[in-house]
Amino acid sequence: MGRIIVANRRGHQVVEWDAETDTAEARAGVEEAERILAEARAGGCLISKKVGDQHVIDTEPFDKTVKEYQIIAPIAGG
Amino acid sequence: MQRFFRWLVGAGALPPAPIEAADGNELERPWLRRWELLPKRSAGADFTSDDYTHARARAVEVARTTLGESLWAELERHGYLEVHSRRFPGVLYRLRVGRRIEVRCAPGTRNPWPMPFLCINPEYPLPEVEFFAQLYLYCRDREDLIVRVAAPQPWDQALGRTF
Repeated sequence: MGRIIVANRRGHQVVEWDAETDTAEARAGVEEAERILAEARAGGCLISKKVGDQHVIDTEPFDKTVKEYQIIAPIAGG
Repeated sequence: MQRFFRWLVGAGALPPAPIEAADGNELERPWLRRWELLPKRSAGADFTSDDYTHARARAVEVARTTLGESLWAELERHGYLEVHSRRFPGVLYRLRVGRRIEVRCAPGTRNPWPMPFLCINPEYPLPEVEFFAQLYLYCRDREDLIVRVAAPQPWDQALGRTF
């Protein structure tokens, strides 16, 4: 099971996908996760993924085998 | 149906389709909204004091996950985290939750900025500990973006876009 942590004013929400099950529903979940990351990147966000026990900024395309992504807010000065 | 009628009457681009989060609620995607008019240190007029309490509690979980146990323990021990600059030798960034970044220089090192604090906010409201963890990732992994957007300031102050 993979998940995206979406940090927002609620603290965070999570979207999950199942990369190990080969059903239409599971494939739709993977596609939706990929779409969310692409949409966030298009909106100026960065993406991080968990490596070991901490997150690192990730610039690679979506990988359904990653266990945990996080959407990182764009930043502005001042 | 609402999306179809918006399209039919020419009410602009269709809003993105809602996505359900694992908690069963609609996923809030803050990058799709504009937040410029929000008062400082606010999450919006629709936010109750309970919402703030819950958001801050949930933010701690994510910040801890983001940083990992070792950095989290260091933050709890010292009250700040430091990141050595890869671009400016002898410079380090000291980060405190909800505050501006302090630029600290080794003896004999000139501060690359004209002032000792850097004001950097998220573009949408976030609990301050959650943004702290994200800002740490920026400093460590994307210093180029820190350099590009930072607003140097003469003193420390609470960030305006976090709460």
